Amino acid sequence: MTNQACGKQMTPSPLTTVSRRVALGLAAALPLLRTGRAMADAGSDKASAFIDRLSHDLMAVVNGPQSTADKAAALQKIIDTNVDVDGVAKFCLGRFWRTATPDEQKQYLTLFHKVLVNNITGKVGEYAGVQITVQRSAPREDGIAVTTSVARPNSEPNKVDWLVSIDGPTPLVTDVIAEGTSLRLTQRNDYSAFLTRNNNSVSALIDALKQQAGN
Amino acid sequence: MSASRTSPSRILLTTVLLGTLLLAGCATRPPASDPDALAEYNETNDPLEPTNRVIYAVNNGLDTVLLRPLAIAYRAVLPDMVRSHIHNVLGNLGMPVQLANDILETHPRKAGDSLMRFAINSTLGVGGIFDAATDMGYPDHDADGGITLALWGLPNGPYLFLPVFGPSSPRDAAGTGIDQAINPFTWVGHGSTDRALGYAKTGIGALDARSRVLDDLDKITSQALDPYATIRSLYRQHRQSEIEDARADGQATVPAWFPAAAEKKQ
Repeated sequence: MTNQACGKQMTPSPLTTVSRRVALGLAAALPLLRTGRAMADAGSDKASAFIDRLSHDLMAVVNGPQSTADKAAALQKIIDTNVDVDGVAKFCLGRFWRTATPDEQKQYLTLFHKVLVNNITGKVGEYAGVQITVQRSAPREDGIAVTTSVARPNSEPNKVDWLVSIDGPTPLVTDVIAEGTSLRLTQRNDYSAFLTRNNNSVSALIDALKQQAGN
Repeated sequence: MSASRTSPSRILLTTVLLGTLLLAGCATRPPASDPDALAEYNETNDPLEPTNRVIYAVNNGLDTVLLRPLAIAYRAVLPDMVRSHIHNVLGNLGMPVQLANDILETHPRKAGDSLMRFAINSTLGVGGIFDAATDMGYPDHDADGGITLALWGLPNGPYLFLPVFGPSSPRDAAGTGIDQAINPFTWVGHGSTDRALGYAKTGIGALDARSRVLDDLDKITSQALDPYATIRSLYRQHRQSEIEDARADGQATVPAWFPAAAEKKQ
């Protein structure tokens, strides 16, 4: 704005050259911006479609007629193919991932996967009657957030955001944010508090996870 | 609620609490040679952690022997519908404070919602038992002193775990104080009946709030390795998202039913 006004008042001056250069630069960058924008939209659409399909798969399982054991097995399969479990596990361990030995890393990944699946499939009966509706999606710095409304019988619908990464060959869920609380961030804070109180020992964490996985 | 009175039990409680504060002290700051640990310490922002953990343990003990069993009984004895009516009445009694905060946050449409909710639910909703206002297009929202102070730019400050109240921060504690001060029910009547009603409201409010998080809190205590840290994380994230929702108040200043707005649309 200011540059334009100045340009009108003063004829050939360094300022006009600068503003012209800026204008030219902007004009040149515009097509790039537009493609960037289109790419972001395509990514958002892809993520939305992915969450839409995933939520239908989830609803089909939890609201289906199978036995609880069959539902748990089907749910585990959905988690394994659609959630970036290793990525979430690494995020949750945070800075301690680097200090862990390769053996500890391997053990931790296996246990994390088991505990996560147990925590989700153990409550499969409680999810009956759930309805998930995809509302919108928006790119964030760490992925694409797809906002859904999750309604359960006899309670008000909750806002649940699914963070999706579309960098890999297939889209993957990297986080679930329920009413503003991120599951992986909460888990990371839990682990880091535990590690701080246990001399930053990853093997202590592994022992604790072993206990959780055993239950 | 009636004004506070100094009683022997209150003095004892204060002494015990101050004693714990002095004994527990502060968290040790990691040395600068460990930047990762230091960054985490700053991010956690819980310099009073040892003290907070003591209060958390005391609160947790009280919860285990008193509040949780009562909340379980409350949920078992009263049917869903009655509990939701009680929740509505409590929410309606809090509406004047919500309205005041909407105004302080300069959210005129939200203030209109709160005002209409109080007017409709107090009358048509029979003293707040039924939430008729939501169906008539005046949905509920979050507004309290802590959110108002956040929108005014006051920083959150370190984590505090308060006796009885639970997770908080200097900003939220100040917000709760302001809410109490601007609540007309704080100042109405000082007779014994009013005081009894005030205590009843506080007691039922505690049961209502606790019974609504029974399953969630049980899940946290059974699944978290460090429930104290998990609750701290959840509390912070939840408050942050409430503040962001309040900040992103997207309601147009001119309501849809206003003629000028209708013309603009066409």
